[in-house]
Amino acid sequence: MSWQWFHRLGSPRWFYQTSTRWLPLLALIAAAVLVSGLVWGLAFAPADAKQGNSFRIIYIHVPASFLALAGYYIMAIAGAVGLIWKMKLSYMVMKSAAPIGAALTFIALFTGAIWGKPTWGAYWVWDARITSMLILLFLYLGVMALQYAYHSIDAASKAGAILALVGTVNIPIIYKSVDWWYTLHQPATIKFTSAPSMHIDMFLPLLVMIVGFYLFYAVALILHTRSEILRRERKTAWVRELVQPNVGEKA
Amino acid sequence: MMQMYFASFQDLLIMDGHGIYVWSAVILSLLVLVWLIVVPLLSRRALLKDIARDVLRERARQSSSKNNQGEV
Repeated sequence: MSWQWFHRLGSPRWFYQTSTRWLPLLALIAAAVLVSGLVWGLAFAPADAKQGNSFRIIYIHVPASFLALAGYYIMAIAGAVGLIWKMKLSYMVMKSAAPIGAALTFIALFTGAIWGKPTWGAYWVWDARITSMLILLFLYLGVMALQYAYHSIDAASKAGAILALVGTVNIPIIYKSVDWWYTLHQPATIKFTSAPSMHIDMFLPLLVMIVGFYLFYAVALILHTRSEILRRERKTAWVRELVQPNVGEKA
Repeated sequence: MMQMYFASFQDLLIMDGHGIYVWSAVILSLLVLVWLIVVPLLSRRALLKDIARDVLRERARQSSSKNNQGEV
C-alpha cells in the first residue's frame, strides 16, 4: 500500500496545479445547478399550504445551513490533520474554510430572520436553534481572528485548529436543538432516517439546491485555498515560475 | 414542459405579498455568494502582481551586482 497519494495531497503545488485544470469545469457545473435549482424552487414549485410563498426561502435557508454545518466539520478535520501530521496544506484549507463558513452561517441566520417575520411574526427569537447557530458564527469568526492574532503562521494555525476542534461540541447541539428544546423553529425537513416531510414537487428542487451549495462550497474553498497557497509559498521556485510569463523574459 | 406556479411574471415578483421577504432573502444571499468568489479572485490577482514585482526587482538587483563586480 503506497502512501504516495497522501503526500501528494499534502503538496500545495500539486493542489494548485490540479485545481487550475479542474476549477473552470467545477465552477460551471456549480453555477448551472444553483441557477436551475433556484428557478425551479422560486417559480415552479407549488406554494406551501400553511406558509404560502414565504416557504420558498427554504431553498436558500436549508442548503446554506447544511453547508454552514458541513463546512465546520471540514474546517475542524483540516485543523486536526494539520495538528497530527503537520500538513501545511491542511492548515491553509482550515484558514480558507473559516470565512466561507462564516458567510454561509450568516446567510442561514438572516434568511431565517426574514422567513421568521411572515411566519412567526418576529425577525429574531432567542430560541435554541437560532442561538446555537449564532454561536457557530462566533466560532467561525474566532478561528478567523486567531489567524491574524499571531506573528508566526505556525502558532496561528495551531491555535485556530484547537478552537475549531473544541467548537465541534456545538454541532450536535445545533442538530438536536429542535428536538431537545421547545422551540419555534420547525423540525428538520430532511432526515437520514425517514422520508422527507414535504411533497416531492417541493423536495426535488431543494435537493438540487443542496447539491448546488455543496458544489459552490467546493469551488469557494478551492479558490480561497489557492490564494492562501500563493500567499504562503510566494518565495518558492514553483510560484516564481508561475508568474514568469507575466514578467516576460526567462531568467 | 413544466408549468410555472405563478400566472404571470408580476405574480412571481409579488408572491401574494411574500415577495418582499423571499426576494430580499434571495438577493442578499446571492450577493454574499458572489462576494465569496470575488474576494479570492481579487487577492490572487494582487498577489501574482506582487510576486511578479518581487521577481523583477530581484533580477534587477542581481544584474546590477553582476555589473558592479565586472567594473571592480
